[in-house]
Amino acid sequence: MEVIQEKTQNGSAASEVDVHRREFLKKLGSGVFASLLMPILFKDNFAALADEALAQVDLPELPEPSPEEDPLVRMMRDLQRALKKPLEQRKWTMVIDLRKCVGCHACTVSCIAENKLPPGVMYRPVIEEEVGEYPNVHRRFIPRPCMQCENPPCTPVCPVNATYKRPDGVVVIDYNRCIGCRYCLTACPYNARTFDWGEYYTEDVGFLGLQPYEQVDTMEYGLDWKRPEGRSPVGNARKCHFCLHRIEKGLLPMCVVSCIGRATFFGDANDPDSLVSELIAQPNVMRLKEELGTRPKVYYLM
Amino acid sequence: MKKPIPKWVYVSSGVAGLIGLAALVWRLIVGIKITWLSSSVPWGAWVAFYIYFIGLSAGSFLFSTLIYVFGQKNVEKAGRLALLSAVFALVTGLAFVWMDLGHPWRFLNVFIHWNYTSVLAWESLFYIFYIVIVLLETWLLMRYDLAELRDRSTGWRKSFYQLVAAGTPTPRSSEEKQRLYRRSLRWAAILGAIGIPVAIGVHGGTGAIFAVVKARPYWYSPIFPIIFLVSALVSGAALMTFLYAFLGDRNDPEYKSIVQSLATWFILFLSIDLLLMLAEFLVGYYGGIPDHIKVLDAILFGPYWYVFWFGQMGLAVLVPILIYIFKRDSVFWLAVAGLSGVIGIISVRFNLVIPAFVTPPIPGLEHVFDNHPRLAFSYFPSPGEWVTSIGMIAFVIFLFTLAYGLLPMFEQNNEVGAS
Repeated sequence: MEVIQEKTQNGSAASEVDVHRREFLKKLGSGVFASLLMPILFKDNFAALADEALAQVDLPELPEPSPEEDPLVRMMRDLQRALKKPLEQRKWTMVIDLRKCVGCHACTVSCIAENKLPPGVMYRPVIEEEVGEYPNVHRRFIPRPCMQCENPPCTPVCPVNATYKRPDGVVVIDYNRCIGCRYCLTACPYNARTFDWGEYYTEDVGFLGLQPYEQVDTMEYGLDWKRPEGRSPVGNARKCHFCLHRIEKGLLPMCVVSCIGRATFFGDANDPDSLVSELIAQPNVMRLKEELGTRPKVYYLM
Repeated sequence: MKKPIPKWVYVSSGVAGLIGLAALVWRLIVGIKITWLSSSVPWGAWVAFYIYFIGLSAGSFLFSTLIYVFGQKNVEKAGRLALLSAVFALVTGLAFVWMDLGHPWRFLNVFIHWNYTSVLAWESLFYIFYIVIVLLETWLLMRYDLAELRDRSTGWRKSFYQLVAAGTPTPRSSEEKQRLYRRSLRWAAILGAIGIPVAIGVHGGTGAIFAVVKARPYWYSPIFPIIFLVSALVSGAALMTFLYAFLGDRNDPEYKSIVQSLATWFILFLSIDLLLMLAEFLVGYYGGIPDHIKVLDAILFGPYWYVFWFGQMGLAVLVPILIYIFKRDSVFWLAVAGLSGVIGIISVRFNLVIPAFVTPPIPGLEHVFDNHPRLAFSYFPSPGEWVTSIGMIAFVIFLFTLAYGLLPMFEQNNEVGAS
């Protein structure tokens, strides 16, 4: 863990240097000009910083395998196996068993808590459908994370290359580069991208005012984002990233661990022994909007 | 002689423009949360105005090529007005899309981290290339008149003309000026010819920003960029009709026939536009794909039905056509037709952008997302969006009137002897 802290400290030291330089340029009397030149003056290093911050150390110790173990433990074991492989050989995949989903929205809420999502930003809503006519109705629940498409429609439209598919298949956003044009929001067939409007749930709540829990930095992609200071990701597109900051440390995505019915599964589809590989080989598997050629890496069991 | 613009135009557009500038500063400080956009309707009034003004610019420019490239001599006197409108409209469009960015100060990223698969990135290159061509062509056509104005004026005006004439020598005689101007016209024809594919790229490409989005069946159609282009020509010709009727020389014996020719072009483009729209609706409804007809239903019968029926059908189609049929002899009414078209096309632009967002890409998502305004599948422009939009447009009108007052908008052959 010390290694990570040192690395993030390096990261913040570098950004302190940036701040000093920016102050200097502002003193020259052209803050606007300086921020226009930001990307040229300072190395644009989101990918490098993120890789560095996500570099895995000290994976959690797991008990001996046993037939009665919780699927979460098995998936963590799968995860550790995958993490030993190089990035490009992993294929992070999610499987959601719709028969087990009870519509509790715990995944939605835990995702909001994990990533400190503000109003307007939601990575994993649970769609509720009512089937039949009253009083003979059933309810159906479909959690909808980002599909992490093999062939994502959102990345080619980005004018600044700020969003891209990582070698392990996760579609990420470089918050430092994104200009906030929201073209990717329109291009996603699953409405999986949302925009950070710079608001807070509690800012207008009577005498209590802005609550401390909303003023915590968000740690997406393993980096320290000073959102409460009005900086990125405010004004950026935001999306589900399979909790990269967790999986790279050997932890399962927050929606997977918080699922009370064990309806959400996660793992490496390139590993034939993983639980998700077993599940997506079933005949009752389905993906959303396959006709668009997006090839989602989120599968549904029906 | 150039007709002076009435004082009230300067004053009202100047005051409204100042409010607009203040609103822009406010938007830059407070951030994009002054809009009532949501993550499900991420593009709204500002984007609609952006494509409106890009269309107005491309339309005006393409209209000018009718004169300078295709030799439509009967409307030649409106040529410089068309080019100047093209310049101002493009800058306005870019201001709108810039204001719409979540990080306006990062816009240079588009050039630094240019992504060749993004239509939007290609468009930003097109806009740059296009504005260079239009400015160069405008300058070529005006340079000898500017040189004469430089020699005749004093004070700050002289400095201004010195700057914009950029060292153009003054013609020694009116014959020499004629000869030089003919040479400029030849260059304008070449620049105009280069400009045609560029302008098509500018606005057809702006349409393609939407047309390549396969997630939205309403946009995802090859006819979409074509509709963009044709309605651009409609708005350009409508603007020329209005501007020339308003600003042209009433003592000129050709004045009325020029306005009528302009109106004829306007109605011709309008008819083609109407045909394309009809095709779009009929094919869409016949296909019956739910995501598609939900959008068409929203346009025709949704909460904002009046944008289609009053704006698009009334102002942009019915009023101009009726005037053209019954009041063709009156320049005043033709000007009204032009203005009605220019304003009506705004509704067309709103209906091209916003209705595509009213239907959830995944059915059932609305039951979750409609619980918060920043996620909801509904949208109406906020007061802040209205003030910034109208204020910025007023500011551009103010700048346009200033430029109109200073620049030689019409050929000044008869004034050569006086200098």
